[in-house]
Amino acid sequence: MFEKVLIANRGEIAVRVIRTCKRLGIRTVAVFSEIDSRSLHVREADEAVFLGDSRSEESYLNKQKIIDAALSHQCEGIHPGYGFLSENSEFAEMVSRSGLIFIGPPATVIATLGDKIAAKNLAEKAGLPFVPGHARPLTDLDEAMVIAEDLGYPVLLKPAAGGGGKGMRTVFSRDELAPALKASQEETRKAFGDDKIFIERFMTNPRHIEIQIMADQFGNVIHLGERECSIQRRYQKIIEESPSPAVDDTLRGEMGDLACALSREAGYTNAGTVEFILDHEGNFYFLEMNTRLQVEHPVTEMVTSLDLVELQLSVAAGERLPFDQDGVRFKGWALEARICAEDPALGFMPSTGMITRYAAPKGRHIRLDSGIEAGSLVSVYYDSMLAKMVAWGETREEARNSLIHALNRYHLEGVISNTNLANAILNHPAFIKGEMSTGFIEEYFDGGKMKAAPSLESLYFMVMAATLVYHNRKNLVRDSLQPMVARVGQAHEQKAWHHYMVKDEDNTFNIQLLEGPSSKNSWTIRVNDGQYEVITPDFEFYRRRLKLMINGERHYFYLQYRENFIWVAFCGITRTFEIYSPREWELAKYMPKVKREAPEDVLFSPMPGLVVEIEVEEGERVYRGQDLVIIESMKMESGVSSPCDGEVEEIRVQSGQAVETGDVLITFNI
Amino acid sequence: MDIEDKIKELARRNLEAELGGGQRRIDQQHAKGKMTARERIDYLLDPGSFEELDKFVVHRCHDFGMDKKKIPGDGVVTGYGTINGRQVFIFSQDFTVFGGSLSGPFGEKVCKIMDLAIKSGAPVIGLNDSGGARIQEGVVSLGSYGEIFKRNVWASGVVPQISVIMGPCAGGAVYSPALTDFIIMVKKTSNMFITGPQVIKAVTSEEVTPEALGGAMTHNAKSGVAHFAEDSDQAALDRVKELLGFLPQNFREMPPVIECTDDPERKDKSLNKVIPTNPRVPYDIKEIIRTVLDNNLFLEVHRHWAKNMVVGFGRLNGMVVGIVANQPRFLAGCLDIDASMKCARFVRTCDAFNIPLVTFVDVPGFLPGVNQEYGGIIKHGAKIIYAYCEATVPKLTVVTRKAYGGAYDVMSSKHHDADINYAYPTAEIAVMGPEGAVNIIFRKEIEEADDPEATRERLVEEYRNNFASPFKAAELGYIDQIISPENTRPRLIKALMMLQKKRGSFPERRHGNIPL
Repeated sequence: MFEKVLIANRGEIAVRVIRTCKRLGIRTVAVFSEIDSRSLHVREADEAVFLGDSRSEESYLNKQKIIDAALSHQCEGIHPGYGFLSENSEFAEMVSRSGLIFIGPPATVIATLGDKIAAKNLAEKAGLPFVPGHARPLTDLDEAMVIAEDLGYPVLLKPAAGGGGKGMRTVFSRDELAPALKASQEETRKAFGDDKIFIERFMTNPRHIEIQIMADQFGNVIHLGERECSIQRRYQKIIEESPSPAVDDTLRGEMGDLACALSREAGYTNAGTVEFILDHEGNFYFLEMNTRLQVEHPVTEMVTSLDLVELQLSVAAGERLPFDQDGVRFKGWALEARICAEDPALGFMPSTGMITRYAAPKGRHIRLDSGIEAGSLVSVYYDSMLAKMVAWGETREEARNSLIHALNRYHLEGVISNTNLANAILNHPAFIKGEMSTGFIEEYFDGGKMKAAPSLESLYFMVMAATLVYHNRKNLVRDSLQPMVARVGQAHEQKAWHHYMVKDEDNTFNIQLLEGPSSKNSWTIRVNDGQYEVITPDFEFYRRRLKLMINGERHYFYLQYRENFIWVAFCGITRTFEIYSPREWELAKYMPKVKREAPEDVLFSPMPGLVVEIEVEEGERVYRGQDLVIIESMKMESGVSSPCDGEVEEIRVQSGQAVETGDVLITFNI
Repeated sequence: MDIEDKIKELARRNLEAELGGGQRRIDQQHAKGKMTARERIDYLLDPGSFEELDKFVVHRCHDFGMDKKKIPGDGVVTGYGTINGRQVFIFSQDFTVFGGSLSGPFGEKVCKIMDLAIKSGAPVIGLNDSGGARIQEGVVSLGSYGEIFKRNVWASGVVPQISVIMGPCAGGAVYSPALTDFIIMVKKTSNMFITGPQVIKAVTSEEVTPEALGGAMTHNAKSGVAHFAEDSDQAALDRVKELLGFLPQNFREMPPVIECTDDPERKDKSLNKVIPTNPRVPYDIKEIIRTVLDNNLFLEVHRHWAKNMVVGFGRLNGMVVGIVANQPRFLAGCLDIDASMKCARFVRTCDAFNIPLVTFVDVPGFLPGVNQEYGGIIKHGAKIIYAYCEATVPKLTVVTRKAYGGAYDVMSSKHHDADINYAYPTAEIAVMGPEGAVNIIFRKEIEEADDPEATRERLVEEYRNNFASPFKAAELGYIDQIISPENTRPRLIKALMMLQKKRGSFPERRHGNIPL
């Protein structure tokens, strides 16, 4: 086994690899960029090496610097994590050539499997099924017509070159084929200087299933079951689980055997993942093989009780796999939610900033892989994924509930995250039934919000939480003013129903609270037509999380409050409630509907200074609050942020130009 | 008339008075998105707590046919009641009655409750919605204004006075709110100016809308006359309640202490990372302020004006504190004329009402500039010194980063009688920034060096390491303790508890002469 390894990564995966190394007594060396100098992974490692500027090319993608760091710190191997250099065959090659061990498959295998055509050939040899289609590029439209008819619409036109969906076209009928083919060819020629187009059957809302494999250097290959990663947005997975509700033992065996066959054919070693899509009839088709540890590996670990990083290390160190396929045991169900710094309401735009508050739930069968803590900086330079919450249960339902509880207790402030979206997905009826596809988000969500209205009961729970906090806070201030209240003839306050009107954007709720006779923490609460018995904790208002026992069941809420406005998140539902006494409610009706002021379409310089950098171009789409121009003033650089959501019309200044307060910097089309 | 009839007559008269200018005018008021004078009181005060005075007062004007038009109450509703159980006095101008215009008896009603407020030591809340002087009354109306202004001055520093502008407030009428402690304006429906758009057009031929001339955002962002801008009557009244929670009943009492629901020993690791490693990179001082305060609740005053200075209220361990802080995000936190006035005014407000001050310092200096000098930065900057030196409430200071030159002195330094001065290890307390200092101290050396640039750089680095730190100041006792940022909250709370019984006094004098 290794004595010391370098981890060429950052964030949660670096922390996660370090954790296993520590357990195995392997010393670790972390690497970091300028902005990461105070990050968690740097502190967790035994040693840390500074790489350079925050930009990835200068730091986490700088192959030579990383290898030099490993050599100068007497490391024997480099663990690449995922992303960055993990699937870079050149890097793997350089590592091996410098006498170090690359903890992953051989460079040549990475290269082969990374090449679409070569990988396809390999897979064909290993007998893997493909999406029905034509094996060669199309020659002309007539041929396309015939093949499309043969395959059955809809069909997918797929450029041979490039990636990222450029030039891809879905064709739903015969009439659309000609224009689509033309557009596709033009687009791919422009982008990649190549107009070869493949045609294949378009799979409508398939499932994404992948098989984890593990191979040692002695030709032993095993699979560790499947993961379902169908819940995605723009090819980015959000929720993953193992096993998949759509895969039974037979199917698992079939897919697993084929995945192993491909790995053998490729001469694969170390951990890898073979990705398939699965259609509604139970047919599966090969997509690609990922030659690294996947983000979602923890769900496999939780159902197999294995540590994949440990296996990676031992295999890379030349050891044999400690068991064969029969030795792999599956137990229970695991679900994972990815926590990303992005705003689902703004088209998943990344959110940056400092994490001002952070609290992670603990619990049996809850695992949080996180690279952040309070004070961590989330920058524009790297991936927006911050952490992964994983839950295990005997059954899928148990795991699901446990993950929901964990997310309800998860507390992250400072950047906007997708936590509530993930939670809402877990609570969605279709998800509960296990009916998932890669089109799930598009089908059921819009702008990060569930299309269907949430259950009334959930809203009632949230209203109760909001009103209880409001009521108790108000009493607190009231009590504190008691010394100022004239004591003459003060009537004794009687226990009575406290009546409030609560509204959110769509509903109004009539709520009444009655303090329990014995304890100040027990309440009888009526919301509209429902009545509940609720037990509260002692209120600690600095905590934004609240645990309520409602009719004997425990629920966690997350709240933020500003006077009578209370924002509540629960099971992925978020609402801002306004709370009024009945009299206030009556008067509130005269108030104008608060409209956000018409956004201004001009960005003024807020201070005199020198324009250092303009971060946008004309015609670019910008969002309110996004920094557009950096101005140096008093030797300080400040970002000037967009006053609106809109498109940049004209940039009136250039870098190096001196500006005065009130000078127009940018105008917008809104 | 037997007694039954008399009681009925009273009820009839009461109803008549409560209808103000009549249903049609009430509807008009609602159509503008405004509440009526009585509805505002109703919304603000505890249910059933309002005790009205002078409900049947009418004007005594006989000119211009006014003797035919009398409405009980005469355009203002006055009285007292409670907000969250605590006594306040309130007057609410009724726009439905003669456009809320001020007559002699109108003024007398306001004066009556102000006198009562001063005598009984309770806050005065004025809800303004008035067309101005009642022209028909002539000079009587002016006299009434004068009486109100005088009482505003008498009440100043005795009881808190809060003005809410919920409609027009023009001409001399603006001076009553201007003399009070806080002005809250409602966006779109309120405005304040001495001379209106028409007069301005007549005199200078400038055309300007009332909103642009004296709307809520004008006074919140440009002139600094108003302290808060709110979306609606309701939001403005909610703000009164919130604000009142930080103020005592009068200058003899302490502000309300509430049971602390936040851990006084709470440390916050994120504070260790807020200050960027590069001294030229800005950060948001409000991150620190919010993190330190109870429940992260910070009521910012003057949020839109002079953003290089942040002032506002919060609580530490349940006790009210006034926060003053330089904001590195704007103008690098420099002190300019507006920031000086904002700071000095707030410090004096806090001192008047026994609110301890917590000052966060990150200031590179005073803003250089011809306009600043012409505008009198000397006398305005002096106001900060005056206000801090004069304040006898507990004064705590935390230097987070820069404290250079004269700006170091004025921002609640030890020399101005601050009680406890903390500094973060990231503090740079020195007479000036390293570059400037090196150019002066080593001018000759740099000029004569073979490579002046390299020499300068070396010297700057040396200076930075040796002098741009909190340790020189700590060696001299100018800084009481250098603290780890994560401990800010517990350390401030301990200091605040220690100073709870602090008393300060000054040599006998008529009153000081603050450079105005």
